[in-house]
Amino acid sequence: MSAFFRLRDSFAKRQRPLKVLGASGQLGYGLPAKAFAAGVARQPDCLGCDMGSIDIGPHFLGSGEVATADVMMRSDLRQVLKAARSLDVPLLIGTAGSAGASSHLDATAQALREIAREEGLKFRLALIRADMPPEVVKSAARDGRVTPIGAIGNLTDDEIDAAGNIVGQMGTEAFARALEAGADVVLAGRACDTAIFAAVPTMLGFPHGPTLHMSKIIECSSLCCLPGGRDAILATLEGGSFVLESMNPDRRATPMSVAAHSLYEQSDPNELIEPDGIMRVDRATYEAVDERRCRIAGATWHPASQLTVKIEGARSVGERAVLLCGSADPRFISRAEELVEEVREVVRGLVCGDAEADYQLIFRLYGLNGVYDWREVPKVMPREIFIMAECIAATADRATTVVKTCKQFLLHHGYEGRLSTGGNIAFPFSPPEVVAGPAYRFNIYHIMAVDALAPLFPVELEDI
Amino acid sequence: MKLEEIAKVVRSKNAGPLHLTFDLMFADEVDYNRVLQSPALTPARIAKAYGVPADTVEIIPYAPALAIKIAMERKVIAGDPGDRDVYGAQQHGPLLELDL
Repeated sequence: MSAFFRLRDSFAKRQRPLKVLGASGQLGYGLPAKAFAAGVARQPDCLGCDMGSIDIGPHFLGSGEVATADVMMRSDLRQVLKAARSLDVPLLIGTAGSAGASSHLDATAQALREIAREEGLKFRLALIRADMPPEVVKSAARDGRVTPIGAIGNLTDDEIDAAGNIVGQMGTEAFARALEAGADVVLAGRACDTAIFAAVPTMLGFPHGPTLHMSKIIECSSLCCLPGGRDAILATLEGGSFVLESMNPDRRATPMSVAAHSLYEQSDPNELIEPDGIMRVDRATYEAVDERRCRIAGATWHPASQLTVKIEGARSVGERAVLLCGSADPRFISRAEELVEEVREVVRGLVCGDAEADYQLIFRLYGLNGVYDWREVPKVMPREIFIMAECIAATADRATTVVKTCKQFLLHHGYEGRLSTGGNIAFPFSPPEVVAGPAYRFNIYHIMAVDALAPLFPVELEDI
Repeated sequence: MKLEEIAKVVRSKNAGPLHLTFDLMFADEVDYNRVLQSPALTPARIAKAYGVPADTVEIIPYAPALAIKIAMERKVIAGDPGDRDVYGAQQHGPLLELDL
């Protein structure tokens, strides 16, 4: 009998509070071991981990590479898998391998299989794919069922074909299907963070509103606490409310810190849109149980009349090379913005002759406007600036050619009033040019209306 | 008074690759209400500070956390060529200086 079926049987005999351990909100970056062990010692009824996000940028979705270091990913997977199997409780992992496309899912599944073999663990594994077939997306776009989430434009067949990967965010339904199929461990591709934690409680009859609210908070582990951190967090669901407790005794879940977490990475703190409905927290209440624990209730669930899937895609835009250098010359710094524009034109003449530039050359002047696009010069000029010249071109050779040329002519660019005729810039090492690999951009971030969710997120079972 | 003199938290972050969000948090209801009622806290003023169209800026108070959310469209999609801040975690500078 699967870990979930045993849990369901025990609930059928006797309703009781359900303990859900939010093991990690970023599995693969290192799991704080002490708090995790404390969480496991509390004998949770299920373990959930979020493994990815769109925050990391378009590269990982576009290329299919995993963002985290392989050795760290395996170390984290080993800890959560061993714990879940020793407790014999469901383990649910969402957005496998950073971006949740098939290559990410397969790399994570392979690591799980190898760890299971090394540790002598036996279980039923469910893999849930989240890749959206291009033909499905094209057909939906043609039927007017795909809407941009912001300023990204309408979706065309060309953009769909250009995307390296297209994934859809699965909801609670997909995890529930995997558990119904007898899975002990569910490894999902791209998934709503909430779905990881919401499937088990809702299947046991806990109400959707508070369950989704709990899930939204614990997917970030102890980030909702004071001080916030990445330690495991335990949520105890009891009827229509839940209690949060960080597994690090130094972190306190206070009514204010937990309420504030509703704002995190959300454009509207009052609502959370899921594939099959909306969870609203405007009537939620936050009440201190003691100094370290908070009880939360009152979130409401509003089923959607139309099912939707958030779809994400990234496409290649060329190859990237960068030049890293800096200046400590006040005359150069005060004119840096116009000087790099002069150098841009010199470089174009040298590598393109009379033709237009067949590449993008982007200068970021750290100290002036490298991080934020300040639209005025600073009142006081900085003593030093760091300059990053980034080129994106059709090939790595072309991009490297541009930044190498840029390096030499930025170094020796003459200007009125120059004193430092030995060179305008300092290089931190040699060579100062770095080939950075393929560059990607998000080209799909849309909502797709669908008639059914299950066919888009197929479950594959495997006995290990 | 500038926002950085009264707020306990002024932070920015992406909400997806197309939007930036800013959270302003306060020590108590007095400070929260003072900022909420300030004539500086309008979509038009925030939009001007960031050089974006005012109709792309939303201000949403969240009383349970004594917090104010500001959301706007990113000028550059996260990670696009020319982006300066993929996570959007360092875009709060102009808000610190917001004169209430």
